[in-house]
Amino acid sequence: MRAQLFIPCLVEDCQPETAEAVVEVLEHLDVEVRHPSGQTCCGQLAYKTGDLKNARRLAARYLEIFAAPDPVVCPSGSCVKMVHNYPGLFNPDEPEHKRAVELAARTFEFCDFISGLPATQRMGAHLRARACYHGSCQLQGLPGQDAPRELLRGVRGLDLVEAERPDRCCGFGGVFSLQFTSVSEALVEDKCREILALEPDFVVAAEPSCLMNIGGHLARLGKPLPALHVAQVLAAGLRKETPPWK
Amino acid sequence: MEVNTQNFRSLAERASANKRLRGVLDHATRHFQRCRQASMDALPHREEYFARARAARFNALAHLPELLEELEKNATALGTKVHWAHDAAEARDIVTGIAKAANAKVIVKGKSMITEEIALNPALEAMGAEVWETDLGEFIVQLAGEPPSHIIAPALHKSREDVVKLFAEKLNLHGEAIPELTMLARHALREKFLTADMGITGANMAVASTGSVVLVENEGNIRMSTTCPRVHVAIMSIEKVVADFEAVADILRVLPRSTTGQRMSSYVSVLTGPRLEGETDGAQETHIVILDNGRSRVLGDPELRQTLACVRCGACLNVCPVYQTIGGHAYGWIYPGPIGALLSTLLLPEDKTRDLPYGCTLCGACHRTCPLSINHPQALLTLRAREKGGSILGRAHSLLARHPHAYRAAVGTARAVDPQLDLLPRLPGLSGLTGFVEARRPPELKKSFTARRRSAAKKERS
Repeated sequence: MRAQLFIPCLVEDCQPETAEAVVEVLEHLDVEVRHPSGQTCCGQLAYKTGDLKNARRLAARYLEIFAAPDPVVCPSGSCVKMVHNYPGLFNPDEPEHKRAVELAARTFEFCDFISGLPATQRMGAHLRARACYHGSCQLQGLPGQDAPRELLRGVRGLDLVEAERPDRCCGFGGVFSLQFTSVSEALVEDKCREILALEPDFVVAAEPSCLMNIGGHLARLGKPLPALHVAQVLAAGLRKETPPWK
Repeated sequence: MEVNTQNFRSLAERASANKRLRGVLDHATRHFQRCRQASMDALPHREEYFARARAARFNALAHLPELLEELEKNATALGTKVHWAHDAAEARDIVTGIAKAANAKVIVKGKSMITEEIALNPALEAMGAEVWETDLGEFIVQLAGEPPSHIIAPALHKSREDVVKLFAEKLNLHGEAIPELTMLARHALREKFLTADMGITGANMAVASTGSVVLVENEGNIRMSTTCPRVHVAIMSIEKVVADFEAVADILRVLPRSTTGQRMSSYVSVLTGPRLEGETDGAQETHIVILDNGRSRVLGDPELRQTLACVRCGACLNVCPVYQTIGGHAYGWIYPGPIGALLSTLLLPEDKTRDLPYGCTLCGACHRTCPLSINHPQALLTLRAREKGGSILGRAHSLLARHPHAYRAAVGTARAVDPQLDLLPRLPGLSGLTGFVEARRPPELKKSFTARRRSAAKKERS
């Protein structure tokens, strides 16, 4: 089995550990990983600020970057959702439309993708820790939205807890957090309060932007609780050694 | 009420800092969510019910002009006078005209968003009529001189303590417990029902096949407002019409459940024409005012037409993290929350609503909760795109993102100069980042994944 890595811009430069963990887990599951060059941004920022012209241009780039027929795997629900939105950016009579439909059909969120692999059942990850799962709103409605929960439940030794409102938005919302800073802060405050009440060793989610938002606020609160991607937790579980952030 | 949507951003920011308001909102919205969830959990085949309600609404929208004409024909045949209003001013003139002709001195009202939309009360008061809101929540906000803050719970932002103070101040009525306060309001209002010359309500639905108006409520005040006074006026916006009672039933199966978690509301009134000879109650003179106010434009818009499917259950407000944090008043007009951000943007002048489509994290809780599957986030994105959206920051980012070498160079420079991104908020155009980084440690620029992978590969080769 081969797969192409789609690494979100935030992960590439700010959370490279997540991408490394994704590679580690995929290779452990006998997936041959390729990381096509030229990746920058999938167009999500442009799309969500209503700049469809640039969203189309960036989508067209990604159609080229991932033109090879192998499945595309990405450790971010919102970026996967963006690729699933690509067909709507083109008129049905444009040649890009057909290619966008084809790319969307083979682009998977990381947890969803590995859940479908037979080797995942015998992965044998083991990690003694108490983890609080944040179910990012961006994963809702995607295929395999519960895959992160199921994968984490499969990690032996992991005490998985969920915050009071696990699927409630953490308040990031991209440009929202810059335009409505106080409202956004109130929401991340709520989220962190509900997480801290459970006294976990770390927070885990499958969405890099939530992790940046929640982790960043926890740091400002003086609670350096690690905010980890599901892939990082699985990779640590496979290594069976005490992870650096514990 | 005065339109204040142009200040949405600052109102929202201010409201989110109000801890007391946040507490009240949290309590109330969680209560609604619990009730709704319990009722949905107890409902087998709910997807089928939702699908039928959706079909009833979307079929009505697909045949709206014909259904409205059928409604007019059938209502007129019963003796109801049907009026058409192009905009709010026309609707106000029609209703004040009816009130004048009926020599109405005391007017009772059922809770209605549409009369808020057209700012009816001040117009009626200006002609010397005494106007009483008879829904308990609406009565409270009327006493307080405030607009409603929730589609179905107008006084949701008020705590019991607020109401105790308000009743003492405005009515010289003294009570403490909620049943006691309710009884005080009931006594005050009972008088008004019996003396009123005219009752004004909205309409949850109007039935084309029979010319009826359907009203859904729990307090009985709408039943009283439509049956005690001599004259009844129902004001509806064009999209409220449905084909027949099959459609009414399909919608009623999900509306109370989605609103309050009830299987059925305490009262459903079906008003079909004026009182006939030999009947003991009902208004002797009935009117239906059909208001457009910008909706036919929305109806002709394939991407945004779905907004008109809304049955005003309010569920999208209760689950919206932004509404839960800022409440209804911050939205600056009468329609709050996800559906409000859409309706206000569609119905009000463009220059007043620029920020509304952006006051949303796109989390999708509203879409997942809506009994009619209205896709609020998608519609808000459509509005952002129509506004010819994009920020300077966003366009600069897109330009770089199209040129991977320039993009890498820019990130590399940033990493060398400002790896902790401390300087970023000081750049022109990025002032929004100041608040962001105050609340969060910004992400650090690290050695990129690509570079790490390259180093690792090199190491392996050597």
